[in-house]
Amino acid sequence: MIQHTDSMRPACKDFEEDLVLYYYGDCAGPERDRVEQHLKGCLSCRRFLQDLRTFLPLMIRPKERPQAFWDGYYTELQKKLAAMEDAEPWWKRLFSSFHPWTVPALGTALILILALTLTFTKGMWRPQGDSTEEKVPREIRAVTSDLDFFEAMDLLESLDLLETVEGTRSGGGSVQRL
Amino acid sequence: MASCQRGERQAFDMLVLRYMQRAYQIALDFTHDYEEAKDMSQEAFLRAFSQIKRFDRKSTFYTWFYRILVNLCLDHHRRRGRFPWKQLDGQDEELTEERVMPNGPSPPDQEASAGEVKRQLGMALEALPGSQRTAFLLRNHQGLSISEVAKVMQTTEGTVRVHLHRAVAALRQSLAELV
Repeated sequence: MIQHTDSMRPACKDFEEDLVLYYYGDCAGPERDRVEQHLKGCLSCRRFLQDLRTFLPLMIRPKERPQAFWDGYYTELQKKLAAMEDAEPWWKRLFSSFHPWTVPALGTALILILALTLTFTKGMWRPQGDSTEEKVPREIRAVTSDLDFFEAMDLLESLDLLETVEGTRSGGGSVQRL
Repeated sequence: MASCQRGERQAFDMLVLRYMQRAYQIALDFTHDYEEAKDMSQEAFLRAFSQIKRFDRKSTFYTWFYRILVNLCLDHHRRRGRFPWKQLDGQDEELTEERVMPNGPSPPDQEASAGEVKRQLGMALEALPGSQRTAFLLRNHQGLSISEVAKVMQTTEGTVRVHLHRAVAALRQSLAELV
């Protein structure tokens, strides 16, 4: 049976955190000496520490499980690992060997190669001679010459029209003169 | 570890054999359920295996692995809500005279069974914020050092000390409610 402390009085505020660390053995050197010195003269802190020593170990569960449990656990995990390996797609396996830093490194290398290629093969990309005429199909070229003809016809018509207009003006002028 | 990172299963199996009991125990501390503890800890191993190439070896394997496991447990805890406090082992009820609080006479109305105290402590532990509970479980139950707990929780040692202190103070305070 457990008998509770009569009051569960708090420890001194300045020492409470150090007492917890002291309990766990995480208080070293001068801090530990300071805590031990204080404990000698402080009943509340001594009770606080005693409480920790009493109730904290109670919370830890027994760890032992039968060996059969661990055998089963291991076998089951082996199956899950094997299933996970089988389920992994080929592309993931392929890329799994890549480290995260390889992606930017490869990207930079590709950009560099592209830039160098464009710089040193600049002249090679220019078209050789004026081959526009060769590339234009014959039918289109015929249509183009027809267009030239029609443009010339339009010009002639415009000249005729000008002459007619001029003739009309000069005729009108003579009437007025008469 | 290099073999593990090359994807060699046999090397990883060695790590499983070395850490499976502690992994299971951590998960059990978080879940209070044997079956869920098994599932959680096995899931942590599966994730560790699939992510082992990302392990940069700046910390030890087990702090890296515990981080995966603790995060899994906390995520599970958040999704499911609080784990019901269970008395997992009948032996827990037994208490020796050495564990009795040595504090003068013990009138019957001030006495409580060890089971009741543990139940109270369990409930108080569940009510703690995740960071305080994690710090406490890793230090008190698993015996990790403050610096190891800090690495698992990816925080500073000072913060772990504060979490630990607050957790212990809250647990002790919960016992005061029994008196």
